[in-house]
Amino acid sequence: MEELILDLKKQIIEALNLEEITPEDIDNDAPLFGEGLGLDSIDALEIIVILDKYYGIKLSNAAEGKTVFRSINSIAEYIAKHRTK
Amino acid sequence: MGSTISITGMGIICAIGNDAKAVYESLRNGQSGVRSMKYLSSKHSDLPVGEVQLSNDEMKALLGIDDARPMSRTSLMGAIAVRQALAQAGIKEVHGKKVVLISGTTVGRMDLTEQKFYAQKADGKLIEVPKCNECGESTHEIASLAGLGGIATCTVSTACSSALNSIILGAEMLKTGEADIVIAGGSEALSRYHLNGFNTLMILDARPCRPFDADRAGLNLGEGAAFVVLERDAERSLGYVAGYGNRCDAFHQTASSENGEGAYLAMEDALSMAGLRPEDIQYVNAHGTGTPNNDASESQAIMRVFGNSVPEVSSTKGFTGHTTSAAGSIETVICLLALQHGFTPANIGWESQTDGLIVPTRGHTDVSLENVMCNSFGFGGNDSSLVISRHEPEAGSRAFREMPVKVLAEESVVSVEELKALKEFVPPMESRRMGNLMKAVHLSAFRALKAAGISCPDAIVTATAHGMYETSMQFLEDIANNGEEMLKPTLFMLSTHNTIGSALAIRTGCHGYNMTYSHGEESEAWAMRDAERLIRTGKAGNVLVCAFDEDISGSSLHAKAVIMSGN
Repeated sequence: MEELILDLKKQIIEALNLEEITPEDIDNDAPLFGEGLGLDSIDALEIIVILDKYYGIKLSNAAEGKTVFRSINSIAEYIAKHRTK
Repeated sequence: MGSTISITGMGIICAIGNDAKAVYESLRNGQSGVRSMKYLSSKHSDLPVGEVQLSNDEMKALLGIDDARPMSRTSLMGAIAVRQALAQAGIKEVHGKKVVLISGTTVGRMDLTEQKFYAQKADGKLIEVPKCNECGESTHEIASLAGLGGIATCTVSTACSSALNSIILGAEMLKTGEADIVIAGGSEALSRYHLNGFNTLMILDARPCRPFDADRAGLNLGEGAAFVVLERDAERSLGYVAGYGNRCDAFHQTASSENGEGAYLAMEDALSMAGLRPEDIQYVNAHGTGTPNNDASESQAIMRVFGNSVPEVSSTKGFTGHTTSAAGSIETVICLLALQHGFTPANIGWESQTDGLIVPTRGHTDVSLENVMCNSFGFGGNDSSLVISRHEPEAGSRAFREMPVKVLAEESVVSVEELKALKEFVPPMESRRMGNLMKAVHLSAFRALKAAGISCPDAIVTATAHGMYETSMQFLEDIANNGEEMLKPTLFMLSTHNTIGSALAIRTGCHGYNMTYSHGEESEAWAMRDAERLIRTGKAGNVLVCAFDEDISGSSLHAKAVIMSGN
């Protein structure tokens, strides 16, 4: 799980151009959207692409992502359960 | 000077017909033009689209063009619509008069550009750097194919509100006497590029779209062109341009605010200029794309404007698909047909009501329409609204002052090394998506605003020949490399020509007029003219004008910001 979380953080930092942020800066349980990192709807779409590209998970709409994308932990748990690659 | 602006001719080609008569018949018969993909080649062929039912060769034949070279559908459709409009207006001779063709487009000739690009990538050698994003080229080609070679031309590029903004600009130029005859509208062909772009935003519906429906799930893309001929104080008229407004939602690049502030302000401006009350409007042709966000936001805005007396409203995108940059003029022509034939078009696809959304009309015949409204909204919250009246409105007395327009501040950024200084104005977390060009424009704009002592300008006008060239190229590369799958939404979101103008509005909280010109080397001159016009007509006290471009080879960029003011 720890390895998955580190990979995921690196993928998010790259896709979202979080240039000045390191994986250690992101709290695994902190909210990603609104407060916390303050990500927005386009970032959610980028995370959907990450799930597809690296883990073979297809989310059919952005609304589905709302609960999944709450925090790094919640995304990692979802990936562990549903990954096809 | 007071004068009325008449629409004396109209031309249209879209999924439901190749001329106004055919479009009218489809609207009356409830015949949608959203079908299976036929002319566009894409991996996503399961997505329904509103294509013009003619091949490029058939369009060439219609225009009498004997030229085997590949051409863009944007130019061909545009020329067909322009010729129809000129014929109806009875305009044969354009020399000796101040005639201007204004076209709105965003992807321009991308259908042609991308074919060459993908073919060269497949061959493994890029022999020609694509000149994607040169909107002005498509306007020149439309003028030439329509037999208007040599007349003044202009291109407006504010994403999906482009064509309505062309009409607004045309009306302004007639009022100030800068033009005697204006042919205004827009043209946009489907491309794999923007189909994939909208797909990354997850706002395309795999079923026919259902605007304002409880179950709506996105839009269907369409293509087409429409142009109208505008004249001052003409003897006959298909309808009068009574009022209009353009405002910025200043909320998000690809989402509308919950209360539809930009749309609300645009509609209010249009009514106010027309001297009409909300209850004087009998029909609204809504932007109504069918996305959950647009329809909820636009409904709120419509209810804020009209209160308890919401007139008949429909989105005609269930017929035509969302024709993006051409939507504003295509729907203006639909409004003119409604006025002319006394009917309201149905909002096809709608089945069930939901909280917070307007209930659209199922369409009526034998109605008497006096004033109708047409809404057209684009990415970046570029919101425009037009009021068309059947009878001649009272000529508004407008102050056009021959006053000097001053430059309060001017700043330029030409080197990437300077961009570190942007931190003073934009936190790194908020500039993380910006490419160098966007950073350079922000830096010059905020330095100029600071020098002028202005935190929020009254209006923002931008000018760019190539737009977001680097970003657009990256998205094209992404499509070529990844086979239309798993593409980056951020690239598409930042690819429209008005991206920077919108970003500046969002950052300064500017809900005022927001316009983008993309007409080659003339772009900046058009923007400066617009700023002067805004000030001299009393529409803005100060205007932020930004002109920018990056070299196609990627080696240099320039960004200039000017604050113009009347006092």
